[in-house]
Order: sequence, then C-alpha cells, then structure tokens
Amino acid sequence: MYKYVLTMVLTLLPLLAAEVKEDMQVPYIPYEIKMGKHFDAIQMHCLTCHSFGYIINQGAQSKAFWRGKVKKMVVAFKAPISDEDSAYVTEYLFKHYGNGKEK
Amino acid sequence: MLRRDFFKKSLAVAGAAAVGSSLEAASQPKNGQKVSEVAFPQKRPMITYSDRPPLLESPRNVFSQAITPNDQFFVRWHMPEIPTHVDLKEYRLKVNGEVEKELSFTLDELKNEFEPVEVTAVLQCGGNGRSAYSPIAGGIQWGNGAVGNAKWKGARLRDVLERAGIKKEAAWIGFNGLDNAAYYETPNFVREMHMEELDDHVIVAYEMNGEELPYLNGYPVRLIIPGYYSDSWVKMLSNLTLTTSYQKLFFMDVAYRIPDNDCECETPGEKHGETKPITTMNVKSMIGYPTNDTKVYLNSHVTVRGVAFDQGKGIREVLVSIDKGKTWEQAILDDGKHGRYSFREFRYTFNPSKYGKQSIMTKAINKAGEEQPLAEEIQWNHGGYKYNGIDTVTIEVV
Repeated sequence: MYKYVLTMVLTLLPLLAAEVKEDMQVPYIPYEIKMGKHFDAIQMHCLTCHSFGYIINQGAQSKAFWRGKVKKMVVAFKAPISDEDSAYVTEYLFKHYGNGKEK
Repeated sequence: MLRRDFFKKSLAVAGAAAVGSSLEAASQPKNGQKVSEVAFPQKRPMITYSDRPPLLESPRNVFSQAITPNDQFFVRWHMPEIPTHVDLKEYRLKVNGEVEKELSFTLDELKNEFEPVEVTAVLQCGGNGRSAYSPIAGGIQWGNGAVGNAKWKGARLRDVLERAGIKKEAAWIGFNGLDNAAYYETPNFVREMHMEELDDHVIVAYEMNGEELPYLNGYPVRLIIPGYYSDSWVKMLSNLTLTTSYQKLFFMDVAYRIPDNDCECETPGEKHGETKPITTMNVKSMIGYPTNDTKVYLNSHVTVRGVAFDQGKGIREVLVSIDKGKTWEQAILDDGKHGRYSFREFRYTFNPSKYGKQSIMTKAINKAGEEQPLAEEIQWNHGGYKYNGIDTVTIEVV
C-alpha cells in the first residue's frame, strides 16, 4: 500500500509541477469613497469597469476634467451612460473629488 | 485571511488618494506612500491604487538594486477583465495580417523553435512620477515607483514574424493581449509599431529574471521594447497582426501622447494642439536608500544607493548633492554588466555633520550629455508624462 501511494505521488509530481498556474485570485479592495447625492449613479456605472481607487487616485480635479473623463468613458470606451446620468456622475465627482475650479 | 480582517486591512490602502498642490511648477512626486497589507498574487504588498484593473507601485526601497524582484515589480493594466488562468494547452501566439502564411505558436514552440535571446531592460510607465505635476495632470497619481528593471528572455519579434513571412507591403505591427474590457464595444488595448522601429532587441519574452513572468506582469508572454516607455509592452500577448496602414486606435491616438513641440509642454489654459507618442525614455536617477523616514546618526557612515537609466544611450555619471544643489559630487557607478537598457546601480557615501534635516539629491547624465533637470524646471503637459526631475529625499540626522 505504502509503495503504491509513493508511486502515485511520484507519478503525480511532474504533473503538479506543470500545473502550478492555478486560477489566481485578485483581491478586492474596498476603497473608501465619499457618500452623497448621485452616488448610486457612480456605483452603477463606474464599478462596471474599474474600482473606486481608480477615481480617488486621479487627484482633485476641475469640473471640466471630470466631465471630460465621463465623456471619454462614453465616447472612447463605449460605456452605456445616458446624458442625464453623465451629468449626475460629473456633478458627484466634482463635488467630492473636485478642486473647486470650473476649468 | 478572514474576510473581515481583509476588509479592515484594506482600509489603510484607501488612504492613497492624492492631495492637491497649488504650486505652478513640477515638484517632487508623492513619496513614502504606504504599501497595502493586502498582497496580490505572486506579489509582496505594494502601493495599491486600484484592484480592478490592478495598479501596483513599487515602494522606493526597491530601487537600491539594479534588478527589480518579480514580486515587487510594478503592475499596470488598462482593462478590467484580465485572465486569472492561462491554459498552456490552449494558449497560442497568432501571427496574421500581411504575412505569407498565418501561423500560431504554443509557448513551447516559442521557447524551442527560436533562438533564445536575453536583454536586461527598464520597464517604465509613461506616467511614472505624474504626481509631481501641478496643476494635477490627468491620470493615476503615481509616485516614483511605476518602473522596474528585469532580465527578459524570449524570442526576437523579427524571427517570429519572419517565420510567417513578412509581406513587403507590411508597414505596421499591431499587438493585442488577452485582457478584455467589460463591454464588448470597448476598444481593445491594441498597440501599433512601425516596422522601422523593429530591431533585434525587441523580443517576445517568456522569462523574467530567470522565472516565468508573474501573471500580473503578463504571463505567459509579453512584448519587450527596450528604451521605450511601457505603453506598448503588451502583456499576455496573443496576436501579432501586420497591416499595410496605420489602424486608428484609441490607445494610440489619444492616450500616451505629449505636445509635439520642442519643450513637449503646454499650459492648462492653452493646450498644444499637435501631439506625438511618448516613445523613448529620458534620463533619470532614483534614490532607493535612504528614504524620507530614515534617521541616521551624526558623523555616521551613510551610503546613498540608487539606480539610473535612460533610453539606451548609456549612463555616463550620477552626481549627488548633500547641500541642496550648491555642489555636486560623483557617485560610484556599477560596472554596467547588464547592458545599456538596464538600471545602473550607484552609491555615494558621506558623513552627515549637522543635526536636523539633511537633503540628498541625485542627478543622472547620459553619454549624449542629457541631464536630469530640477523638478522645478520641468514644464507641464496635460497627461503628466515623462517626469524625470532630480530625485530628492530628506532624512533626519540625530
């Protein structure tokens, strides 16, 4: 029996070595994001493609900057965000991650 | 780790958000950001700007050695859906487009059917150091650590393409990887290179520092373009497509571009219309030791360590100043055995003679005489690209 198990283990070893690339698990990090009006629009649209970290690590930016980012998501990346929701998302981003400047 | 612990620990990471500065010129990039307590697969804890897509920065102390360890090498993906498993039985690198015969290669075929070549080369994000720019430039506010240096082994891109037979009308090579967007309609992260830029140093690499590439750095195969910023070093490379003409692509036409003028600069109020790709890297040095939180004893022996690199013209010297730039002295450079595309290690020893704050500045100069400018001399560009200011750390003498 012992011999049998040993043989089995030895036979499996090369197989195991060739299969080291298991499914990897990318951790989820709950970046702290500010709550406020239109947060639901942020949660619905932004999280589909990227983490909140991607937002908060852009630094404090102007309203034009945030409007441009949202437009980029729609025009360049084809995110299905309505004009109304785009305005909400921009408003939220500028209020919580803005630098107070329009441009 | 229990999910609850994981949650608590990750909150510390979330503090990495940038804070605005009102200065008009560039200054030092963010410094001393904390690494996350949550480690990503095959990585030690790193500075973590995003988990999806993963954006991981190396802490400063990594840059006291010429070769960056795989498990501390920075990570930057554009698309949220990155494969969490690549089955080598299924994996193929396909060559198509303007070739005599469309071919596809398994990883083993890439390893065995082409002459393996090695090149040690710096991989640097074009936005490395972006947080130095003011007003804040668009994009992730990287500190100094979106850069690393590794010994890459692989097959020459030219050899792979020639196996398929390059048609004479082929002018552009398109590169695509296995990562995907969340929406089908989103353009893939495809990059293009003109055939004229193809030289024998460009390789499809399957080894990084003697090991398989970490997943997050592009396992099983990524493109290596020594001397160039990393925007075209496509990870999990799956397709090489030759075309007769340039394909209009978002990631070529809009992203990773700088003003096409001599200073490569503009102002936020008056953006320069014409742009060009960021292409080759400028000369730069970084201090790995000491770091901003280091305390040293008066009159003790302090050895500054760091790395310097450029686009492959070669580093001529690294100068160090411990009197805020009034006088500069030469650091000792390593023997350059890793070649001209690699980090060069430098070291410089001094004995601090005054209590209190002590600044250390380093400046690299390459063989073409190009020097690292002072941070304050660097002019703004909208993407916050190509920052290469003289590196500065401030330690405390006790």
